[in-house]
Amino acid sequence: MSVRALFCFFRCKFMNLRRTAFYAALLGAPLAFLGLFFYYPLLSVLREGLPLVPDALARPYVRRVLLFTVEQALWSTLASVALGFPLAYLLTRYEFPGKRWVKSLVMVPFVLPAITVALGFILLWGRNGYVNQMLMALLGLEEPPIKLLYSLGAIVLAHAFYNAPLIARVVNAAWEGLDPQYEESARALGAPPSRVFWTVTLPQLLPSLMSAMTLVFIFTFLSFPIVLTLGGARFSTLEVEIYTQAKALFNRPQAAALALVGLGFSLLFVYAYLKLGGVFARELTLQRRARTRPLFPSGREALRPHRLMIWAFLVVSALLLAGPLLAVLVDSFLVSTPEGKRLGLEGYRFLLRRQYEPRIGDPPLQAVLNSLRFGLGAVAIALPVGLAVAFGVTRLRVPGRRLLDALLMAPIATSSVILGLALLQAYRQPPLALSGTAWAVIVAHAVIVYPFVVRAVAPLLLRLDRSLVEAARSLGASRLRAFWDVERPWLVPGLVVGALFAFALSLGETSATLMLARPGLKTMPVAVYELLSGRRGLEAASALSVGMIAISALAFLALERLGERGLRGR
Amino acid sequence: MRNTNLILRAATGVALLGIGILVLVLVSGPAALPIVVQAQAEEGDTLYVYVYSSFVEWGPAAFVEQEFERRTGVDVQFVATGASREMLARLLTERDAGGTPADVFMGELNDVPKAKQFDLFEPLSVEDVPNLQFVPRELQVDPENTLIPYEHGFITLVYDTQALSAEELPRAFPDLLDGRFREALLVQDPRTSSVGHAFLFWTIYNFGELFPQYWERLLPNVLSVFPGWSAAYEAFQAGEAPIVVSFSTDACFDERYQPFFLEGQAYRTVFGAGVVKGTDNPSLAREFIDFLLSLEVQEKLPTTEFMFPANAQAELPEEWQRCAKVPPAPAVLPLSAVAENDDRWLQLWAETVVGR
Repeated sequence: MSVRALFCFFRCKFMNLRRTAFYAALLGAPLAFLGLFFYYPLLSVLREGLPLVPDALARPYVRRVLLFTVEQALWSTLASVALGFPLAYLLTRYEFPGKRWVKSLVMVPFVLPAITVALGFILLWGRNGYVNQMLMALLGLEEPPIKLLYSLGAIVLAHAFYNAPLIARVVNAAWEGLDPQYEESARALGAPPSRVFWTVTLPQLLPSLMSAMTLVFIFTFLSFPIVLTLGGARFSTLEVEIYTQAKALFNRPQAAALALVGLGFSLLFVYAYLKLGGVFARELTLQRRARTRPLFPSGREALRPHRLMIWAFLVVSALLLAGPLLAVLVDSFLVSTPEGKRLGLEGYRFLLRRQYEPRIGDPPLQAVLNSLRFGLGAVAIALPVGLAVAFGVTRLRVPGRRLLDALLMAPIATSSVILGLALLQAYRQPPLALSGTAWAVIVAHAVIVYPFVVRAVAPLLLRLDRSLVEAARSLGASRLRAFWDVERPWLVPGLVVGALFAFALSLGETSATLMLARPGLKTMPVAVYELLSGRRGLEAASALSVGMIAISALAFLALERLGERGLRGR
Repeated sequence: MRNTNLILRAATGVALLGIGILVLVLVSGPAALPIVVQAQAEEGDTLYVYVYSSFVEWGPAAFVEQEFERRTGVDVQFVATGASREMLARLLTERDAGGTPADVFMGELNDVPKAKQFDLFEPLSVEDVPNLQFVPRELQVDPENTLIPYEHGFITLVYDTQALSAEELPRAFPDLLDGRFREALLVQDPRTSSVGHAFLFWTIYNFGELFPQYWERLLPNVLSVFPGWSAAYEAFQAGEAPIVVSFSTDACFDERYQPFFLEGQAYRTVFGAGVVKGTDNPSLAREFIDFLLSLEVQEKLPTTEFMFPANAQAELPEEWQRCAKVPPAPAVLPLSAVAENDDRWLQLWAETVVGR
C-alpha cells in the first residue's frame, strides 16, 4: 500500500465519520423536539398497555376486528391508487384552464370532517340520494337501483375520496421532476408507449407512489368516524374498540394495549415499505421539463380512444371526488319544511345570526382565523423538523436506520383517541404545561403532521444523485451552499406538497385539538363538530362545511403559490 | 471548509442541547424545567363547569353564565368538548394527571356508576341544594344524589310522516321484527352515543339478559348503526329510512317527524349536575347547581335543549302540550343494575352486532 493510498484511507475514514456525525447531529435536534413533545407523553400512556397486549390478541373478537381493519385498509389503499394515479397523470401531462385551482381543490376532501363527508355521501349515493333519484326517474324504476351505503364498498369509496388526492399530489410532484429524456430514448428505440410506461416511467415513480400508499394505509387503518357512519357498527375497526375501551368503559390500560397492537401493525407496514422502497430508489439527474398537452383538444383529436378513456375517467372521478362536495353545497341552500325541502339561505343566515358569548364559543370568523393560524404555525415547525429528519434518515449510514425511520412515523400511526388522552395528560403538568394556550395546539399539530414532510421529501432525496452535492463541495461550496443550490431546487415539489398536506392535516385535525384547546381556540372542524352535537344545527352545519371547503381551497392556492415562489427563490 | 465546521459545530451543539434537555426531563420527571406557561394559574377565581357540548351550543349556557356571574362576581367557564361520557373520561384523565380544573360536572345519570367507581363526585342533599325539594322522587335515580337532576327527556322511535302512516307503525317490540320494516330503522352505537346507549337499555329493560337474541333478529331491519345521534338524524332527514331512534320532543322543531312509543314506553334519560371532589370552591359549586334548578333557568330548557325541566314547578311552553310526548309508562333501569352490568352489556352488544 502506497503512502498516498494509506493517507487517503485515513482521510476518507475521517470524512465518513464526520459525515455520520453531521447527519446524526442534524437528526438529533428534531429528535429531541419530538421526544419531548410526542414520545414522552405517548409512552407514559402506552406503558400501561404493554403487559396486556398478549391477552388482547388472544381474544377472538379482537382478532376478528383487527382482520377486518387490515382488510378494509388494503382495499381502501388500492382504490385510492386507482383513482389518484390517473389523476396524477392528467395533472402532469396535460394543460387546462384553471389547473392551479383544480390542484388546490383536489386537496379539499383531506380537511373535511368525517361527518361532512358522510353527509355528502348519503345525499349523493343514499337510497333517496341524487344518483338514485336520477336513475329512478330515467329508467322508470320503483326501487332505488344503487345500494352502496352501509357496506364495505361505501367505506372503501369514502376512503378513496379522502386519500386519492394524497396519491395524486405526491405522485404528481415526483412525475413533474422526471427527466423526459429516458422516456424519449425508449420511444426512439421503438418501445410502444405502454412498454415505456411500465419499464421506464413507473419504476421511477414507485418510491413516491409507495411512500404515499404507506400513508394512505396508515390513515385508513386508523379510520373511525367514516367507517362507523358509512359502514355502520357491523364494520367496526380497531380504533372503534380503542375508543370503546378508553371512553365508554374507562379501561385505559386495555385501550393502550389495543393502540399498541395497531401502532405495531402500522409501523411494521412502514418498515416493510422502507425495506422494499430502497430497491426501487435510483439516483437520477435531471433537469428538463416534459412538454404538456392540452386536456381539452379540438376536433378529431378529442375522439381518439386514448382521449375517450380520459373522458370516461374524468366523469367517474368528478362523480366520486366532486360529487359529495357538490351535494353538500346544494344541501346548504335547502331548508327542510314539513312539505319537503325548498331553496333558502336559512343555513347561512343562521350562521351569521348566532349570538356568540365570547367565553363559550367563538364567532365563525375566529374559528377560521384560529385554523389558519394553527395550520401555518404547525407547518413552520414541521417543515424544518421534517426536512432534517428526511436528511438524517436517508443520508445516515448506520445500522437500524430504517427502524428509526419507521419509528419516526409513529405520530400518524397512533390511535387518535390515545394520542388525545396522552396529550391531555402530559400537557397539563410540567415540563409541558402548555394546556389551554395556542402553543399547545400548534406544537401538537406540528408533531402530528411532520411525517408528511418526511414522506414527501425522503423519496426525492433518495433519488438525487449524490455526486452533484459532492461536485459542488469539491468546487468550494460550503455544505449549506450546496444544499441551497443543489438539493433545495430538487426538493421544492416535495417540500411544497409536504407542507400543503401538513397544513391540510392540521386544518382537519379534531381529536387532539378538542383535548388541548380551551374555549376561544376553536377551529373550523371543531365548530362543525359542535354544531352537529346540538339538535337543530344540521342546515347550518352544511353551510359551515361549505365555508370550510371554500376557505381551505383558497388557503391551499395561496400557500402553493407563495411556497413555490419562496422556495424556488424567485 | 470553515463554513462546514461552523455548521457542524452549531448543529451538534443544538442537538446535544436538545438531547440533554430530553434526558433531564425523562430522568428527573416533572418540575425539572421551567418551560411552563401557567395557563391554569387563575383556576382559583374561576368556576369551571364540565358539560356535554350540546348544552353549550344549544342549551341556555350563555344565560346561565352571564346571570351567575352577575350574581356572584365569579367567572364561569364552560368546558364542553364532547358528550357526557367523554367529558367524564376527560375529568378522570386530568385528575390522574395531577388535578382537574373542573368544579362542577353536568352529565347523564347513566354515567354515575362510572363516576362512583372512580370516586369523582361529592354526595349532595337538600341542605346543600335547596331547590332539590322541587325535583320529583322518580327523577332522583341516584339515591346519593351525586348528580342532581336538572332536566330529563325520553328516548323513543321517531317516524317520517311522509314515508309511513300512523296505522302502519309498530306497537310493540316484536312488531319491530316484522319483515315490513326491513332496513327501515336507523339506530346509534351504544358505545359512542348516549342516545344509542339508552336504546340498548330500553331493549334490556324489556328482554333482560336475552337482549342479544332480540338484537340478532332486529339486525335485518336495521339499515345502519350510526356513531352518533346527528349522523343518524341526518340520514333520516335525507330519507334513507323511515324510523330513527331519537327524542320524544322531536315534533317541536319539525312536525314532519313524529315520535311514537312501543308498549306505551319510552326510555327516560336524566341529566344532572354534581360537585367534583377536591374542588377549591365547594360552596360556589353547590350554589351554581341550585341556580340551575331555579325557575329562571328551568323554564329556558324546553325551548333551547328540547328537554323537560326537572323542577316540578317550572311551566312548559304552550305548544309543548301538542308537540312534546310523554310516554304512559316511562322505562328506566335501576342504576344499581347499570353499575353492575353495563360494561358486560356493551361487550355483549358489540359481539352480537360487529361483523354481522
